[in-house]
Amino acid sequence: MNARLIEAAETLNNEYVRRWKEDGGRVVGYTCSYAPDEVFHAAGILPYRIRGYGAQETTIGDTYFGPFICSLPKCMLQLAGGGAFDFLDGVVIVPGCDSMRRLDDCWRKAGQDMAGIVPPFFFHFAVPHKFADYTVNWFEGEIRRLIEAVERHFDVRITVEALRAAIAAYNRGRALLEELELMRRLPEPPIAGAEALSVVIAGAAMPRDAYNDLLEECILELRAETRRLQGRRRLMLVGSASDDTALVRFLEGDRALVVADNLCFGARFHNDRVDDGPLDPVRALAERYLRRSDCPRMYGDYRRRLEILTDTIQSASVEGVILQNIRFCDLHGAENGLFERDLEARGIPCMRFEREYGPLVETGRLKMRLDAFLERIDGKRRTA
Amino acid sequence: MRRALREYNFDWMLYSTYDAASKLMAGTEKEYARALRYIPYFSGMIDAVLATGEPGLSFVKTCAEYLKNIVTARERGRKVAITSFCFSPVIFYAMDITPVCLEVMSVFLTFTYRRGSAEFLDFCNEAGFTETSCSSQRGSLGAYLAGIGVDIDMVVTDTPGVCDTNANAFAFAAEWLDRPFFQLDMPPLLKGERYDRYHRDDYRALVAFLEAQTGTKLRAERLAAVLDELRKQDGLIAELEEMGRLVPSPLPPAFTLMNYAARFLFAGMKPCTDMLQSMVNAARENAARGVSGLSGGAERLRGFFCYIDHYTYNMRMWRMAEDLGVCLQGNILSRNWSIDAPHVRENHMEDSAYSIDMTDLDSMIDSVAIMNSRMPMIKSIRGPFDAPDMWLEDTLSLARMYSADFVVYSGTPGCRNTWGMLKPFARETEKAGFPTHIMYSDAFDDRVQSWDATRARFEEFLRVRRLLV
Repeated sequence: MNARLIEAAETLNNEYVRRWKEDGGRVVGYTCSYAPDEVFHAAGILPYRIRGYGAQETTIGDTYFGPFICSLPKCMLQLAGGGAFDFLDGVVIVPGCDSMRRLDDCWRKAGQDMAGIVPPFFFHFAVPHKFADYTVNWFEGEIRRLIEAVERHFDVRITVEALRAAIAAYNRGRALLEELELMRRLPEPPIAGAEALSVVIAGAAMPRDAYNDLLEECILELRAETRRLQGRRRLMLVGSASDDTALVRFLEGDRALVVADNLCFGARFHNDRVDDGPLDPVRALAERYLRRSDCPRMYGDYRRRLEILTDTIQSASVEGVILQNIRFCDLHGAENGLFERDLEARGIPCMRFEREYGPLVETGRLKMRLDAFLERIDGKRRTA
Repeated sequence: MRRALREYNFDWMLYSTYDAASKLMAGTEKEYARALRYIPYFSGMIDAVLATGEPGLSFVKTCAEYLKNIVTARERGRKVAITSFCFSPVIFYAMDITPVCLEVMSVFLTFTYRRGSAEFLDFCNEAGFTETSCSSQRGSLGAYLAGIGVDIDMVVTDTPGVCDTNANAFAFAAEWLDRPFFQLDMPPLLKGERYDRYHRDDYRALVAFLEAQTGTKLRAERLAAVLDELRKQDGLIAELEEMGRLVPSPLPPAFTLMNYAARFLFAGMKPCTDMLQSMVNAARENAARGVSGLSGGAERLRGFFCYIDHYTYNMRMWRMAEDLGVCLQGNILSRNWSIDAPHVRENHMEDSAYSIDMTDLDSMIDSVAIMNSRMPMIKSIRGPFDAPDMWLEDTLSLARMYSADFVVYSGTPGCRNTWGMLKPFARETEKAGFPTHIMYSDAFDDRVQSWDATRARFEEFLRVRRLLV
């Protein structure tokens, strides 16, 4: 695997970010996959997905958030409070869910106690919770509001041409990731799920053009790769935000392989394109980001999401689905309950578990359940 | 869920209870006292409410009527929608749809039974819903998922953008029950042309959805009749709220509950108007005599609950207020954002309020859309807590206006939208001079923290802050 991609995925202030900053570039962080990276790319700003990766505790997070809140935004705030995101020139908070939207409040208030942790550009970017003509109209207006704010704050111009170029660059990345996705789905794939997740995560932490080049290299390397992962149980990972490759590595062990996912750090990013035709680029962004309703934050669209899962399960020959949610992530937690009911009814084994975001804990308990789940898949294989 | 519970129709169980309660005062005092002995976990609630006289009786009758509507909805050929407390039912009444407000049903249950709503809460988890979700919906949703309530035709809510756990409960219910689902979406800010247009467009889509579900068009005269009634109710609520400013307040503690319950049950309908009118009459009498609405007659403290109240059995929170001489100055639920509301006028917040334009059907739909966007929680928990029109601004302006001595948060652990920023919020209310107490209990489920512990901590807060010496 390409070491630079791995480094970008596993180091917050990675080499690409450092070099970008050294060259005088600016970086804006965002908290959710509904933020249109293309806007920042078009402004010559590096868009950067804020994560909680590497947080070892939540003392700062717990000071501002209440106790009944998802550990992902707490870990993000923990890192921000500890200076891990000091390289950010701006932050865009996207209300992906209630816990995440309160990162806005808590980060700003923490900034009153800890000088310098709130970047000078701090923007609340709203995203409607359903797809309809009037919600797309509204969202288009919101993207324009974001563009204006970025132009004003950073003293830049975001032209239509630059937006079209950004859309082309990101679409190219999405197409490449789709290629990678197809390789994961091969009967004997050349890449494990944990590695694939690293590749996807790296894309949200480095300049897009450089990423696309690395991705292309990576795909060529994988095509030439003679190592094939054989005889493993084929799993799909679904649910709450998961950017911890250690979790995927743990799930895979030496007996399983995560051949597909439906995660906001994973396949949800690249499973469709922004219209790059004559349509106004802002409109095109609004339509793509809102129509892509793979996240349960988009209420009333469960059936479509179930079909997406079912199609993926079929095309990737998935033998079992891991449905996980971070504690207090009710959106994924509840939808996982429905997925479990409906997928099991279709004969697809499911394993549902709740976890904390952050350092991998309770691995013994999880391992025991996972072993039993893999045995169940083995049993199904024997009777197939 | 225990088999025994499955053997009772949920709605009928509640209806028969409240219907019987509404007749308790029909006999002699001795009969009433004897009857209370048979309902130890409900008697406190009944006694507290009926002690307010005509308004209390009217309240219990209104509850019974609401439940009767649900029980008889099918035989009357009505479509049934499950919905939320923060969704104004006026549109349902204008279209002959029977609303089943999950949170209200949960409270009917928790007020009445010592066992509370635990088994219904847990049934939702058995069905696959998360145990960390809000107990206010789950408390009754479990009954409908278990199929022991009225058949539901549709699911309607308006909390996306405001409260995930609320919206998610309705989305889950719609899928589980395989029923049509509509959700109004709320952007993070309240005012301005862009936001108004969004609310209006969204509401028109709702009307189209309801028309499709019922097979009938929304008629202007029906909506006009409901809105006309609503305007009367807004006037009565404004008068109650104005009287609440008096020191001592002439409003009994139970009036806060009755005020918002009336609107959640029957906004735009005659029973709500009658009940509010009787509350106004009673409060006027107290005000004329210059007496407190507290049964002890002495108002020692004035408390503002910045979110919701505590609803477990026997109305113990209200009875505690009576015991301690604490005048309850309402909460987020009891405030109405009509343009005539006293706090709107006092704080010059007219552009944050709603008014009803009865010119034609379009103007009425637009008015309801804007009114709905000002419903409790919908209005002020949608954006950053310290943004204009949001929770902090509302809390401080109301606490000041009603001369509150302290602020209390009571909610549920499932409330992601408030627990997400409650600590910084409380810091701001403290900074503004209001001692602030956070209840870590679940307003609907005593298993999280017993009422005894909740009360002990509250009293400790009053002592430690030297509010009640």
